[in-house]
Amino acid sequence: MKRSSWFNSTVAWLVYAFLYAPIAVVVVFSFNAARSGIEWRGATLDWYRRLFANEQVQSALKVSLIVAVTSTALAAGLGTTLALALEKHMRRGREVVNGLLAVPVFVPDIVLAVALLLFFGLMREWFRVFELGLVTIIAGHVTFQIPFVAMVVRARLAGMDPALDEAARDLGATPRQVFRHVTLPLLMPGIVAGAMLAFTLSLDDFVVSFFSGGPGSTTLPVYIYSSVKRGVTPEIHALSTLLMAVSVVATVVAMMLQRRDVR
Amino acid sequence: MRKSGWLSLFLAAMAVVQAGAAQQLRLFIWSEYIDPAIVKQFEAQFDCKVTIDLYEEAESMLAKVQGGGVSLYDVVVPPDHLVKAMVALNLLAPLRHENVPNLKNLDARFANPPYDRGNKFTAAYQWGTVGVFYRAEPGVKVAESWSLFFDASKQMKPFGLIDSQRDLIGAALKFKGHSLNSTDPMQLREARDLVLEAKKRSTSFDGSVAAKNKVVAKGLKAGIVYSGEAARGMTDDKATRYFIPKEGSQIWQDNLAVLAKAPNRDLAEKFINFMLDARVGAQLSKFTQFATPNAEARKLLGPEELSNPAIYPPASVMEKLEFLEDLGAKSRLYDEVWIQIKTR
Amino acid sequence: MNAAARRRDKGWWLGVPGIGWLGMFLVLPLLAVFAVSFLTRGEYGGYGLPLTIENYRRLAGWGELGFDPLYPVILGRSLALGFGTAVLCFLLAVPLTFFIAGLGERRRLVALTLVMIPFWTNLLVRTYAWQLLLGPSSWLSEAAAAAGFISAGEGLYPSWSAVAIGMVADFLPFFALPLFASVEKLDWTLAEAAADLGANRWQVFRHAVWPQIRPGAVTGFVLVFLPATGQFVIPDLLGGAKTALLGNAIQQQFGQSRDWPFGAAMACVGLVIMGAGLFIQRRINRLKEAGL
Repeated sequence: MKRSSWFNSTVAWLVYAFLYAPIAVVVVFSFNAARSGIEWRGATLDWYRRLFANEQVQSALKVSLIVAVTSTALAAGLGTTLALALEKHMRRGREVVNGLLAVPVFVPDIVLAVALLLFFGLMREWFRVFELGLVTIIAGHVTFQIPFVAMVVRARLAGMDPALDEAARDLGATPRQVFRHVTLPLLMPGIVAGAMLAFTLSLDDFVVSFFSGGPGSTTLPVYIYSSVKRGVTPEIHALSTLLMAVSVVATVVAMMLQRRDVR
Repeated sequence: MRKSGWLSLFLAAMAVVQAGAAQQLRLFIWSEYIDPAIVKQFEAQFDCKVTIDLYEEAESMLAKVQGGGVSLYDVVVPPDHLVKAMVALNLLAPLRHENVPNLKNLDARFANPPYDRGNKFTAAYQWGTVGVFYRAEPGVKVAESWSLFFDASKQMKPFGLIDSQRDLIGAALKFKGHSLNSTDPMQLREARDLVLEAKKRSTSFDGSVAAKNKVVAKGLKAGIVYSGEAARGMTDDKATRYFIPKEGSQIWQDNLAVLAKAPNRDLAEKFINFMLDARVGAQLSKFTQFATPNAEARKLLGPEELSNPAIYPPASVMEKLEFLEDLGAKSRLYDEVWIQIKTR
Repeated sequence: MNAAARRRDKGWWLGVPGIGWLGMFLVLPLLAVFAVSFLTRGEYGGYGLPLTIENYRRLAGWGELGFDPLYPVILGRSLALGFGTAVLCFLLAVPLTFFIAGLGERRRLVALTLVMIPFWTNLLVRTYAWQLLLGPSSWLSEAAAAAGFISAGEGLYPSWSAVAIGMVADFLPFFALPLFASVEKLDWTLAEAAADLGANRWQVFRHAVWPQIRPGAVTGFVLVFLPATGQFVIPDLLGGAKTALLGNAIQQQFGQSRDWPFGAAMACVGLVIMGAGLFIQRRINRLKEAGL
């Protein structure tokens, strides 16, 4: 059984075509002059122009960015501290926390979304907090972002040479100084990579945003969904193309950061 | 450091968002149901910003409002059959008539409706019918009946069914000659089986706007839509038609209402009063192509609208139309049937 | 404990914010779901006491219009779809990962990134794109009609096939990446030795290759099967109303049907499935660690 047999190659190429067909369709048809259907009628940038004039899109974009930036900042902090605690400090309880971190990854997103909806509802009744809106969406996003950030940071920590820490301490540095001047700078690429992944996850999230959103807090994916329900238009293709471009850039940057060696 | 940089960005963004918020009116309304020009007029006249969220069908609106929207939106547009339920759930705020003097503009037939005597909570917005929107082919005669969907031998493929509980179950009930408000489990089971069988032969399951768009885009030959959608569709594409099936169908009335915990109740009532103005009402109906319940506005409409049978059906058709009623505890039966329809 | 160990354990408070957050926004909501599943739906929606197991009875089939295996069927279908998706992904991922493993160092990175990229683009966008690719007037539909799989004028969408295609397209990277982690470390000498000793291709795979890639395959399987069972967006967009699955059914309860307790009961079932799946995966991995 050869690794690069013609069978494997053929299947592999077909798989790539299969994975990229939907993306290609959206990108190509965002330039299509035809209003609907899939006949090609010449190239145009009209739909992109219309997009920038669309008020609802602008407001959805604002919401998506605010949510993504805020949730990423929170998740970066919470995920990093959690990763540090797990890798360097906690002996007992590690199993439990690992299990806890696995839940948002494996649970179907709709179960998480309705759980949050119910929870916010109860909180509203008893304590009058958590009106559906930006705050609730951000809270939901952070919850599923934390495991991803923690995972990336832990991988980075695991790859770090403990001798550096020891060396710094031997030279008389306090634990705080060790952290600030040795650990943190080395960890930074990992944190940023985790943050970029978290940012992408938030920007692309649909299910949680759909259930946890309120008026004026429609994110881009929720806007796209409502539009698709009414009939797909080339403007949506244009919007989707831009959204995908952002995700791709963020992911590639994150991957590059992760691959930088810890010297 | 990165983290504080992001924090500053966030704070700056929030500042921008807050600075833009003068007085705000939050409207929760059906899609394609209000003229953007009217919204701009209101914003200019009352120096405020209107944010609009959309829904595609009534029960989802109720779900959103019940699920927390009651304190997040100011004005909502419930259909006739949901008003009693919303009042029972304490979701609506009473209308203070001294703030809504234009209520007097309403036609007597649409003011003081049976589900809201004295207009305590609502003011009529638009009314219309549920019917069939289809693509006409030259030389082909089309039976004006629900059998286009429910009878395999007379079906018009490809067709779509409407994704709305009372509307679709009602159509099936009417096809079988029953009332739209039947609570007889046997009749409901019959209706359910009809719809399930039709679903197998159908191409899609959409709201009225999506169905209209698909017929115009030639993705469907026939769909179940609301009268205004059909009228707009017929303006876009002269080859399409609308009819009310001979077995009868639904007439409905949508209403403006203020939510119980609306953040800006005063502005909400001003908005309702504004919408009841004669000129605004006429402009609204010209845009949505639905029928206006506003007697003063009707005077300002021209023959293109008033003589359009899709918008204003003749008396002979009006006889076959039935209003939906709120069924109280019996709505459970419809909920059960609907779940089975959606999930089988 | 020695000084180093003590120093290590002292920093546990670092984990408090993260754990606290997850406790509040993950554990409590899931407990809320469990609790609400035992409440009763109000007359017009909403929920409250009395406590009841009526929701679970309905899930088992005893509804208001008589016995109806509707929900057990939906659950069965969802599990089948999740399982089928995982199997299809496996069948495609194996040749794919072998191919990537056979590439040179630099090309390998590119190939992997290319697999990852769709994974990180918006699911909604990729899914609605399949509507276009599988609609009545698309090439694929016309080809399928010509081949007799579907009637003319009909599309491949909406239908179960469309849902399956959408699911596999979405979940394939989930399977490929963990599988690749195992395939990358494959010791081919074992396979070569087996072949030299006269084993045919199938035997080589079964005895020399499969045991080595099994951990990656099991992880990939669980990573696909569990979320796929509860998927909502793909069946919603590609199945029309013709494919009713657990995810759609849950969404229904919190949307149009306004029956939160019933929806909560369904969500609990989803949680049980997830728990069972994770448990099985850890057992299998532990067995593997024990050398079985």
